[in-house]
Amino acid sequence: MSDKARQLQITGLAKTFATKTGSVPVVRDLTFDIHEQDFVSIIGPSGCGKTTIFNMIAGLLDADAGTMRYRGEPVDGLRGRIGYMMQKDLLFPWRTVLQNCLLGLEMRNVDRREAREKALDYLETFGLKGFENAYPSTLSGGQRQRVALIRTLVMDPDILLLDEPFSALDYQTRLHLEGVLVDAVETAGKTVILITHDVDEAVALSKRVVVLSGRPSKVKAIHDIDLASHSPIESRSDPNFSRYFHLLCNELDIQTQ
Amino acid sequence: MSVTASNERGVAKAGPKPRAYFQLSGDGLGGGLTRGLLQLVVVVAFFVAWELGVRFGGISGFLFGQPSGIFANFGRMIMNGQLFVDTGYTALEAITGFVLGTIAGTAIGLSLWYSVGVAKLVEPFVIAMNSVPKIALAPLIILWFGTGYSSKIALAIAMTAIVALITAYQAARDADKDLQRLLRSMGADKHRIFFKAVVPSSLPAVIATFRINIGFALVGAVVGEFISSQHGLGHLVFTASNLYDLNTVWVGLFSLMILGFALYHIVNFIERRVLPWKQDLSTRQVAA
Ligand SMILES: Nc1ncnc2c1ncn2[C@@H]1O[C@H](COP(=O)(O)OP(=O)(O)O)[C@@H](O)[C@H]1O
Ligand SMILES: [Mg+2]
Repeated sequence: MSDKARQLQITGLAKTFATKTGSVPVVRDLTFDIHEQDFVSIIGPSGCGKTTIFNMIAGLLDADAGTMRYRGEPVDGLRGRIGYMMQKDLLFPWRTVLQNCLLGLEMRNVDRREAREKALDYLETFGLKGFENAYPSTLSGGQRQRVALIRTLVMDPDILLLDEPFSALDYQTRLHLEGVLVDAVETAGKTVILITHDVDEAVALSKRVVVLSGRPSKVKAIHDIDLASHSPIESRSDPNFSRYFHLLCNELDIQTQ
Repeated sequence: MSVTASNERGVAKAGPKPRAYFQLSGDGLGGGLTRGLLQLVVVVAFFVAWELGVRFGGISGFLFGQPSGIFANFGRMIMNGQLFVDTGYTALEAITGFVLGTIAGTAIGLSLWYSVGVAKLVEPFVIAMNSVPKIALAPLIILWFGTGYSSKIALAIAMTAIVALITAYQAARDADKDLQRLLRSMGADKHRIFFKAVVPSSLPAVIATFRINIGFALVGAVVGEFISSQHGLGHLVFTASNLYDLNTVWVGLFSLMILGFALYHIVNFIERRVLPWKQDLSTRQVAA
């Protein structure tokens, strides 16, 4: 019964990379659950294997050990089921902004007209109206990241995997887009897994935060974030915000550095 | 938050205007019209000096030709249509050879992306074929294909296909792996990845070889005509030089130059049409 609430179960996942200098264990015995309509942030020291974990979930990298279950079914990865926004924006330089946004939809053979309208809506919300026909090379880093985020959202996948989606943005734009993201996933009832190096962002947006240890990474702790609102500005002014913030900083051993 | 939003909209209204960048990059020689005039003056001065040199300066008109004679021949061969026939033959041979050679080479080169195993297997053969000076195949090709235009086309294909193949293969192999991974995460199969990521990202390199290959194709056609032919600019140049008719040789050479120039610009035009996103990029680099 309780399986139903668990959208994705990750159990005992492990990955070791073979390099010239020897084998590097990156992920070891990783176990956590993602609930339906969850918003989970993954934080951990840089280089601890967060992106590697996403690549395994996305089915781009085979795990050495462990299992993944999607709504109870064992799966190798969620290829085709997820919207994966990678750490680099990875826009296709020969496609215009609009064509880039429609890329995921082309893979799914959805109705073109409907897809176009949806993408145009998002472009307006993200402050990119007027840039539909521009090529990515003419955009700023922040604009490119927004296009990549639209491309991921517009696909309407069951689970969004977002790898440091706001890292290239200035603080104001970041707050704005965090709000847009939270609104979008709440209205559509989507599940989000967010990698961030920003503890502040993790607390503000997430329902739960998974803290990873250093390499080889394991789950160090999982914290429920119980704030009245997850809108990026209101949550930051919540009386409990700083308590969670300090808790997570402690988990990351930030005060000792 | 509203501040951000209004900022963004302000930027949006301004919009990207890549054209304007060009005007910023002056070259100190004034506009295109002045430059064109200057170039014309150089050409006219060259021919006038040549003509005067032959008439009064002791330059041998027999060995070097003479502009007045060249222009007279030029006019005559235009009037009787011979120049059009010869240019037509050479152009047709070069273009057909270029198109077939480039398409075949590019298609094979790109499709080697599908299988690393096959690519590794054929690599030494391709390199071996590439190290043969293709022009050395000319006598053999004329034996096989006869003295008509088909042997010239075959030679132009030989000149272009391997270059196109190698370029296309390397470009496909170097296509951004992360873009391919992204498509895979979206559920794309290998064909989708090929057509949506590998082919478009190889296009700039592939089209860059067009410009080189159109020249190679012309070399193939002309050398084929040198060896054995009834028509074409190569035939014209070859027979005229056997008769020490230097003025007609120059007519042939200048016609080849004009033909090569025209083909080059056609290829450039195609490139701009096929790669509009590259144009945006290069104009930005000019401004930077
Ligand atoms: N394909 C690979 N081959 C070898 N080592 C890798 C590979 N991918 C990642 N690594 C190593 O694994 C570690 C974790 O990388 P990554 O998952 O990108 O970390 P994070 O995203 O947490 O910063 C790094 O030390 C990185 O060098
Ligand atoms: Mg990473």
